[in-house]
Amino acid sequence: MNDVSGSANVNAVAAKKKLSSKFFKKGITVAILSGMCYGLYSAFITLGMSNGIWADWYGVNTAALSAFVITYMLGALGSALNDTISAIWCIGIATAKGKMGDFFRTLKTKPGRMMMLAALLGGPIASTAYIVALQMAGSIVIPITALCPAIGAIMARILFKQKLTPRMLLGIAICFGATLMIGGTGFLADAPEGLMLGILIAFIAAFGWGLEGCIAGYGTSMIDYEIGITIRQCTSGLSNLIILVPLMAIMAGNFGLAPSLLIQAVTSSDAMIWFVVSGFFAVFAYSLWYKGNSMCGAALGMACNGAYSFWGPFFCWLILGVVVGQEGWALAPIAWAAAIVMAIGILIISMNPLDLFKKKEA
Amino acid sequence: MKPLNYAILKHFTKVKEACAEDVIEALKGEYGSFKALRKPAVIEAIMTGEANGLLEETRFEMGSDGELRVYYRANEEGAATINNYIKD
Repeated sequence: MNDVSGSANVNAVAAKKKLSSKFFKKGITVAILSGMCYGLYSAFITLGMSNGIWADWYGVNTAALSAFVITYMLGALGSALNDTISAIWCIGIATAKGKMGDFFRTLKTKPGRMMMLAALLGGPIASTAYIVALQMAGSIVIPITALCPAIGAIMARILFKQKLTPRMLLGIAICFGATLMIGGTGFLADAPEGLMLGILIAFIAAFGWGLEGCIAGYGTSMIDYEIGITIRQCTSGLSNLIILVPLMAIMAGNFGLAPSLLIQAVTSSDAMIWFVVSGFFAVFAYSLWYKGNSMCGAALGMACNGAYSFWGPFFCWLILGVVVGQEGWALAPIAWAAAIVMAIGILIISMNPLDLFKKKEA
Repeated sequence: MKPLNYAILKHFTKVKEACAEDVIEALKGEYGSFKALRKPAVIEAIMTGEANGLLEETRFEMGSDGELRVYYRANEEGAATINNYIKD
């Protein structure tokens, strides 16, 4: 009898170890995939915004759009289109999986409202800042926005009293050092006009996403991640379209620009095809980020997702530079080195690298 | 009716301990038609709750069907958090 129960016990321990290991590995895989999807979303939205009517707006500018409209309003419009299309993808996926009922039920709850707040921070504010920064300073801003885990760690300390250790502070210092390396590259190379402003605007995106990671990460421990991302993209897409784009049109002194530019963008099929692709990858960039954070903890999840500091420039170079043949997407070697340093910094903030080896031994 | 994920977490505030099979059994009356009320998805939801400190493991055993059963519970703090965010 003892042998039988002993053998059953051994089997149970082995099965339990396997289950825990499978869950941990799935969490890491999901978080790494989120960073790759983020890089793909970045590349395709940039491709969309350089084709069709966008090529005219940013190039010849036959519509004689003002500098304000070109720099800021088009960024908001691009973000609004991407998030709205992404929301349509999310609704399609949620419908196919029978989750739309839970989507509406979740909206009315406290975690649902938290997710909407996170969407507003990460959507209208951070996404627009990101796209404006990308337009002004190029893919160099991507590693800067990858500072969001660092900002997330600081905001989590302030808002949720989470720990902020000397190791995390060291990682933050390394990230800032890497940012300075990238800033220096821009000055040494053929720096586009508005590079510094673009970099500053990229920091707004990093703050928005840092806060989003804090708040949405907490919400996703209770909300199904596919419902969470549907709430995020619907809130973000609609608030961008209904509030931000018209607000910028008013600031530009011509409210009529909002519907006019929107219609022109939507009917520009050469560009829209790429927004459909970028919106698709945005679904997974954010939903897998939330899921990764909730599965293996925000610290490790954000560290793996933070690898988009590689994937962003990598896919921009691969898709826009190599495949499409646009010039200016190759990064100086020091920028690649800085991206690696930043990724190391992010890793050190998010977790003790020695734990990786401990996990392997376990 | 609550979203399924909420109902899964809330179940642990009402019982001493439960495994995925217990949760499915308890919820199948109301959520039987939900595609997500399947063992792998429920196990993932429970383990996510555990990773975020809402639930904690109590024990595990091999069932008579040769399937592993891991039991979890919501401790005082976890239950308080769940009840704070998810109302009846």
